[in-house]
Order: sequence, then structure tokens, then C-alpha cells
Amino acid sequence: MRDWWKILLVCLATVPAYAHVGSPDVYYEGDAGPYHLFVTVRLPQVIPGVAEFQVRSASSDVQAIRVVVLRLTGPGSNLPSVPDEAQRSKVDPQFFVSNLWFMEYGALQVRIEAEGSKGKAQLSIPVASFGRESLPMVRGLRGLLGFFFFVLGLGIIPIIGATVRHSNVPPGEVPQASDERRARLAMCFAALLLASFLYMNKSLWDDEAAIYERSVKLLKPPRAETTLVAGNRLVIRPAAQLIMPIAGMRRLSRKISMNEMIADHGHLMHLFLIGMPGMERMWHLHPEREAGGAFSQRLPAMPAGKYAVFADLVDKTGFPWTLVGNIDLPPIVGVGVAGDDSEWQGERLAIPASENTVAPLSGGAHMIWERGGGPLKANMPASFRFRVEEKDGSPVHNLEPYMGMAAHAEVVGSDLSVFAHIHPVGSVSMAALDLAQAGLTTQSPAAVSGMEMGMTHSSGGLPPDVRFPYGFPQPGTYRIFVQVKRSGRIETAVFNARVH
Amino acid sequence: MSDVLLPRAHTDPAILAAQSGPLTSALVETAAIPWTIWMLFGGIVMALVGGSWDFAWHMSIGRDTFWTPAHILVQLGGILVGIASGYTILSTTSAEVSPTRDYSVRVLGLYGPAGALLAFWGWVAMIFSAPFDNWWHNAYGLDVKLFTPPHNLLSLGWFATQIGVMIWIAAMINRSTGVLRARLTWLLLIIGSICVCLVAVLSLEGTQTLLLHTAFCYLTAALCFPAVLIAAGRGSLRRWGCTTVAAMYTAIGLAAEWLLPLFPARPKLGPVYQKVTHLIPLQFPLLLLVPAFVADLLLQRLERRSSWVKAVFVGPAFVLGFLAVQWPFANFLMTPASRNWIFGRAYFPYFDTAFVLYDPYRFRAPEKPAVFMLTMLAALVVAIVTTRLGVAWGDWMRRVRR
Repeated sequence: MRDWWKILLVCLATVPAYAHVGSPDVYYEGDAGPYHLFVTVRLPQVIPGVAEFQVRSASSDVQAIRVVVLRLTGPGSNLPSVPDEAQRSKVDPQFFVSNLWFMEYGALQVRIEAEGSKGKAQLSIPVASFGRESLPMVRGLRGLLGFFFFVLGLGIIPIIGATVRHSNVPPGEVPQASDERRARLAMCFAALLLASFLYMNKSLWDDEAAIYERSVKLLKPPRAETTLVAGNRLVIRPAAQLIMPIAGMRRLSRKISMNEMIADHGHLMHLFLIGMPGMERMWHLHPEREAGGAFSQRLPAMPAGKYAVFADLVDKTGFPWTLVGNIDLPPIVGVGVAGDDSEWQGERLAIPASENTVAPLSGGAHMIWERGGGPLKANMPASFRFRVEEKDGSPVHNLEPYMGMAAHAEVVGSDLSVFAHIHPVGSVSMAALDLAQAGLTTQSPAAVSGMEMGMTHSSGGLPPDVRFPYGFPQPGTYRIFVQVKRSGRIETAVFNARVH
Repeated sequence: MSDVLLPRAHTDPAILAAQSGPLTSALVETAAIPWTIWMLFGGIVMALVGGSWDFAWHMSIGRDTFWTPAHILVQLGGILVGIASGYTILSTTSAEVSPTRDYSVRVLGLYGPAGALLAFWGWVAMIFSAPFDNWWHNAYGLDVKLFTPPHNLLSLGWFATQIGVMIWIAAMINRSTGVLRARLTWLLLIIGSICVCLVAVLSLEGTQTLLLHTAFCYLTAALCFPAVLIAAGRGSLRRWGCTTVAAMYTAIGLAAEWLLPLFPARPKLGPVYQKVTHLIPLQFPLLLLVPAFVADLLLQRLERRSSWVKAVFVGPAFVLGFLAVQWPFANFLMTPASRNWIFGRAYFPYFDTAFVLYDPYRFRAPEKPAVFMLTMLAALVVAIVTTRLGVAWGDWMRRVRR
């Protein structure tokens, strides 16, 4: 049916580092100067397409929000378009909505200007732009278009026939046999031309659809090729060349080399090995790049089993790539984790899962998910709050930055269709955020200090509360690994969640 | 098809009679041009202005919404065409005894001038292309391409509308005398030049400045221009009809080139690669004036020869005349002397990656010598065919009565 319908009729990639397996929307919490903002960017299904920006101000003194889209780095990053004035909600004056076109694939940035009683201030958020699918034609439109195609196609032939038959006939006279012959010939010719037009457009349609499908396919999480060498060294590389397509172009695209990956949180790759099927084990490792572009990691001691593989990378332009795969490992004889590497082993995730809001840590301490009593809903932006307490319920005072952040969290869907590596600033990475913020020409000291608080570069004891702005992309069962560093030791608290 | 219609154009008494007066005296002549023709003319001019504005809008501001003023102007132009042609068809069909019936054709029970029926069909196609285009954007994203199925349908509809109006006016010319005939002839020439403008836009993927030193450019020109330019010029019965049509096309192109940048504009979409402060026009018009003059000259010399003889001489002369002026002029367009408001070579759309991904002042590499020669040869052959089509179409417009 679709084929029948078909018969009838630059970009430079850039710099953020956040995983986007099944979780394309961007959630961010930070300061634009004196204004604390919670931003949600809902990416369009197709690129170019319209993205929705939702901005909530923590205070009531923000009067206006303006939004522009630029590239994150390089050409296209320094010439802003006319800012779009976000619509302020009449019901909730602290809530603003804007709709802007995303025209290109790759690493873009959204620059937000807040204006209020304390003047104007800006912040910039990196966004990975990629098309996810092409929308099918709905039935009603299909019927309408079919009807018009039918009428148009059949209408033009008799018009041409009548034109040839009558146009030279004097008024009051009737066409002669020769006129009829010419008319029939003209109609045959017109039908031939119409068929050629339809055929050419069918080919064009097929071609455009193929170009678009290729782009969607290229920007899906690439497959990871994993090899175990010498018993305990895991080598990981993309199974195929990473390619950044250019919207609408068949031939123009950019090959992404493993040598152009940049460090995020001080590491080129963040590798997550999750024991399957119950997610009862999780390792967060940091392989090193080898000559030739592959990454390798000497594995710690690990039990045999099947493991899901998620490897986060960021290319030099700022676009995040998450290699996905799985590996069947024999028992690994190795030493314990060290440095920024971490591990967790615990209970299997049962389906249906029993939700928990308290997770044990070492020494009797525990982490509490302060989620309230209501059910979790998909696509609902929220600030997920976690509190770390000592055995006696008192707040801990020994939290330290873990790779520059107050905490890290990995949100994993039980069917592995969702994997998001998030932080207290949201679903964007520090590396990308640094690039985005560097593009701001003017920034108040207040904004800078706000950034630093959110990213917790401070070396002193951190507050016992951590927050993650995020929204579950789809209903289902999730396991959330929340990782903090306490007295030099990396600890992982695990929560199960059912999202409606 | 044209052979069947015009077996011996040079001896056709209707054509010879048309040189001096109307084809029939049975019609009741009116002194004034009917309002429906003015409405059609207004609609087509609005679509031209709206279309030029729309291109500039896309290149300067971006298509942030379907409801841009330029889009609305094009739609209004289309509505005028729809009303005029639709009204004419309905009124002719409903009036069983009417002088208009005498010079109408009948299609599926509907009566009206052949041009009105074709223009109405074109209008329906244009209207229908809008939801199709909207779906296309939703399915594959907002395209920045000229040739997509919905855009092609829009172009086809637009083209059919213009051809329909030309036929309609040509039929009226052939039934009129004196001042009315002269005025209608001018309208025909203007519509013909607008048709050439549309063809020039559609040919841009082959005739953009960077491609002016490729044989592909001249093949594109041979394919696109002779038919419509010669048809409109020849159909007007003017001695210098092709030259007049080409001069009007040039004037329209220059007006757009020089007037649009007077209006301030800034991009609303991003990323922005070029600083834009005003509307960006399309490129400097092609130098069609010279090949059109050559065509007129040869057509006058070959008036008594057969259509194929005309085509064999005029077609290649058209391509070679175009090559002779456009090639060296293209060299000039690459120099700093052309980077001003007159020639517009310093204008770049906001999304243009000029200076980033390519040098806008360097020609695209030409084809290999053998391919170049073969493509040029193909251009000459194609020009013969398209010229033959233009001659046939123009001669037919000299005789059309309904």
C-alpha cells in the first residue's frame, strides 16, 4: 500500500557527552546568573524538526526567557539567530515554553537568556540532535491524498484531450474526425508523461526515504565489538565505522575516528558492564585507548555470565556516542577495582519489580530516595532527590566528588532499551557543558559560582543530598544505580522503579 | 504530438491569417480585458512576488512557520487564480446558452476555455501539494531541497496554471482586434516571462554560479529554456517576442536582486553560518537575452522553413549563444568586482557553509574533457528537441480559439 502511495508522487558535528540509548530528551538544572532554571528539551522525532523547550524558574522574578539554537563549537556556534521569546504560562508564571527548529544533526547548543528583576543572564546547554524515525502517513491523510491524486491524475488527461480536440474548432462547429484522432494521440502522450512524472517522483521518494533511513540508522547507538584477550583484558571498539550524516545528503558525511574522542570526567570511555538478565552486578570501568583506536581494560575479578555492555564516548565535536553490546564472560581472575572504577553486586531485578526507596551502603549507612508517594510517570521531568544517611539516620558528612561530580547515576531499563548516564546537572556531560558555557561571551560571577556548586569541583565535604534532573522516557521497569564517593571509597546504591 | 498538430506550420492559413488579424469575426468583441483575466494576471504576479519573497525568506530568515507573509502572498495569488478559473468554468457550465459556450471546450460535463480548465487543474494541484508537503516535513524533516515529490507537484501545478493562463489569453488574442489585442499580447508576454522565471528557479540545481563552467549547466539550460521562451515569444506574434520575454525575465530578476536586499531581515532558525542583515535574493539572472535575440533573428530568417528546420538551426544557436556570453560572464562573477549590490555575489544564505566547507568564488570542477564534449553535444541535441517543442507550442497558441 505504501509503495502504491509512493508511486503517486550541513552540518559539522560537535561536543556533549551523555548517553542517549532510548533517552533522547535533555534535562538540565542550573543557574543562569542569579536565576535557577530547570530546562527540558524535547527533541523532535525527525530532523529538521521542531523541538520543544520547557523552562521552569525556581524564583518568580524571571520575566522573560529567550532561546536560540547554535552549533556547540566551530562554525555556526557564534552567530545567534533572532532569539525566540518563550511563552509564559498564564497558569504558572514560572513556567515558559518555546518551540524552535532543529535543522541539523550533531552537537548543538541551546542558549537561554533569562531576564528578570536582577537583569539579564544566560546559560547554554548542549544537545545531541539526531532523527529517530520517519512518521507513517495517517489513514485519513492517506485517503485524502489518494482521492486528490486520483482526481488530479484522471483530470488532466481529458483536459488535454478536450483542449486538443476543440481548441482550434471555430465557434458553433463540431470537431472533425481528424481532431478526434489528434485528441486521442494527445491523451496517450499525456498519460505517458503523467506516468513518467509519477515514476520519477516514486524514485525520488524512495531515494529520500532511503537517505533519511540511513541517517536514522547511523545515529542509532552503534554496536560494540568486544573481545576478551589473555583471559582478563577486554578490548572494545565500534563494530562499524562511526559516521555523522548530514541532513538530507546522501554522500556528505563525516567519519568519526576513535582518536578524536575527548575526555569526559577525565576519562575517554566510561564502560558499564551489567550482569544479565537480572542486573545483579554492575561494573563502571574506564578503558584506555590503544594504538589503532580500540579501547582496552584489564578486568577485575568477575563471575562468569552474560553482561550487557554500554560504552560512553564523546567525539571532538561534542557528540555523544554510546556503544552497545553484550558479552559472555568466563570467570575472570583479577584484582579488585581501583581508581575511579567501581563495582556493585546485589539482588536480581525481579519482574514485576518491588520498588524500594532505601538502599544499603557500607558500614550500615544507607541512601534514601525521597520520591514521595505518587507513582512515577513517563516523560515527566522531575528532580530525583537522594539523601545519604549514617546508620543512625544522621546525614553523612564524608561525601566527596566522584570524578568531579557530587554523584553519578545510571538509569537502565529492564529490557535494556534505555540506558542513561546522568549527573546532578542533568543528562548533559560536564565536558559538553564546559564547551557550551565557554561560548557565552558574558556571564555574571553568580552564574559561574552556580555552575561550580552544581558540578561540585570543591574538594571539601559535600552535602548529603544529591539531585538528578531527569524524566523516564517510557513506561516500564527500571534499575537506577546511584554512585557516590564516601571517604575515598566509591559506593553504589541501587533502586528499582516502575514507571507508568 | 506537435507533428500531428502542426504538419505544415509555415503554410497553415490560420497562422498566416493570424499575422494580420483575428481568426474569427463571429465573436462579440469587448473593448476591455475581462476581470477574470485581470484576476488571473494579478494572481500570477502575486505568486511571482510571493515566490521571490519566499525564496529570500528561506535564505534569510528560515521557514519558521507555514504562515509566513511570503507563503500567504503565494496562497492569495493561487486563490485569485482559483476563483477566476473556477468562476469561469462554473458560469460557462451553468449558462446553457451563452456566447462563452461557443468558445469553450467540454470536459466531463464542464464547459470553459481550455486555458481555464488547465489553470484550474494547476490550482487544485498547488492546493493539494500543501498538506502533502506538510506531511513530508513531518516524515522526513523540513527539507531544504527544491526537488521533493510535494515540491514537484507544486511546481507542476504552478506551471500548469501559467500555461493555462497563456493558452486562455492566446485564445482571446486570436479572437480580438485593435487595442485589446495589443494589451492581451503584452499580458501574454509578461506571463511568458514569469513562466521563464519559474523555469529558471527550477533549473538552479544545474545553473548556479559555481556550475557555470560545466557542460551540465548548458545541458540544463538547453532542457529548460528554449521551449517556454520560444513558445511565449512566438505565440505573441511579435517580431522580437523571445527577446522581449527574455528582457522581462532579466528585469524581474534584477528587480528581485536589487530590491529584496533593501528589506532588513535576520535568521530565526539556526545554526547560522553567515551574518545576514537583510533579505537575500537569488543569484544574478542568467544572460538569456543574448540567446533569445539569436533565436528571434534566426526564426525571422527561417519563417518560411519547416518547424524541424527552424529547430535544427535555432536550438544549437540558442545553446552556443548562451555559452558565448554566460561563460565569460561567469569569470567576472568570480572576481571581487562582482561582490556588490549590482551583481550580488557577496550575498549568502544564513545556512550557507561558504568559506567553511567550500570556496564560493571557485568554480566546481568541470567534467573530464570527453564527458564535457559529450554533454555539450547532448545539450545541442536536446536544444533541437526543446526548440521544436517551443515552435510547435507557439504556433499552436497562434491558432487556439477556445
